[in-house]
Amino acid sequence: MSEEVKITEKKEVPSGAIMLFGFPDVGLVGVIAASHLISELENMEEVAYMDSKLLPPLIVLHEGLPHSPIRIFGNHDVLLAVSETAISADIIYSIMYALIDWGKSKTVKMMISLSGIPIQDRQDIQELKVFAAASSPETLKTVQEKGVEILREGYMVGPQAIMLQRCANIGLPALTLLAQCFFNYPDPEAAAEVLKELTKITGIKVDVSQLLEKGEEIRLRARDVMKRTQQELSKMKKTREYDIPLYVS
Amino acid sequence: MAIRRKRSIFDIIDEYFEGLEEWAERFRETLIERPSWNQKTCTIEPLRDIMVTPTEVIVTVDLPYTEENMIQVKPLDKDTLEITGRMKRKIRFDDFGITQYKGEFQTLHCHTRVPVPVYMEKMEVRFKKGILEIHLPRKHEYEIPIE
Repeated sequence: MSEEVKITEKKEVPSGAIMLFGFPDVGLVGVIAASHLISELENMEEVAYMDSKLLPPLIVLHEGLPHSPIRIFGNHDVLLAVSETAISADIIYSIMYALIDWGKSKTVKMMISLSGIPIQDRQDIQELKVFAAASSPETLKTVQEKGVEILREGYMVGPQAIMLQRCANIGLPALTLLAQCFFNYPDPEAAAEVLKELTKITGIKVDVSQLLEKGEEIRLRARDVMKRTQQELSKMKKTREYDIPLYVS
Repeated sequence: MAIRRKRSIFDIIDEYFEGLEEWAERFRETLIERPSWNQKTCTIEPLRDIMVTPTEVIVTVDLPYTEENMIQVKPLDKDTLEITGRMKRKIRFDDFGITQYKGEFQTLHCHTRVPVPVYMEKMEVRFKKGILEIHLPRKHEYEIPIE
């Protein structure tokens, strides 16, 4: 693990779990989905947290007590890394590498990043599609067999891009699930869709009815995090995902 | 071929100051941090976005807890819109577990500046899935002739 980023374990961490990532990105899909998973899955507890001078001077207060903005929750089968603050482009590599290397040390069997893919005129779309990209041809084949559409060509920007590349390099099976979503507005419906696909792929059962019922409350609550995330996405040149790639080979 | 309208020195000075004003507004918006709510006016600032296409400007605003008949869109001048949406329920800081501030809100409110000239009077508005969409046809005042 890098010296500038430290992950401190608070409880015993299971080995052989699936590790999920819910980080601020377009539509806050990953964060909303992660927050729902924490409340819905049984025995999800904070098992570890990140400590780093690279992070902004910020703590999150819950019930009057300080918490790191980047924490890992877990039960027997799942580990879930979630960030309550937008992560700036200049520290994202160190943060993601530290989390991935920590996950590898816990012999996780797969890493899955939950996120979104922005689509124009999202408000006109009734059925949202979910796409997947994987770290290896074998993992890609597995999700294809489960009926998930593959994101064939294009650019990917953000934590999920780093996760896929790093996992491909170290030979750890990894997936990114991307639900069609709003670029600049919190999108609980997209979060529900990404969780449905997660169930299809991993068998982790999540009831999304509460998430959909609370949609308006989530949209109102998530405005400030969305605004901060927009600023970071713009610095990260997130709109590159709209670009048409020019492949050399 | 397009005909170029002659601009007077006063038009140019006016445009210069308008541009300067716009820049100052953008600067103020990006650099001066302020909360997204106002206790005095009991309003919450909604998230919004602007897209400029060759034919129109599309302003979208995320208005949770509102309905079509509870929204008001008012042009304040030739390039500023005021958007107000009354929410179906009152929101208190307590609802979000926040106890250090007091106050309740029932209105989403914002001003938004349109970056290019538009026909305000031809504005079309629709509301879908909690997103307000305002379409403003663009006004093309000058065209540069291609020789």
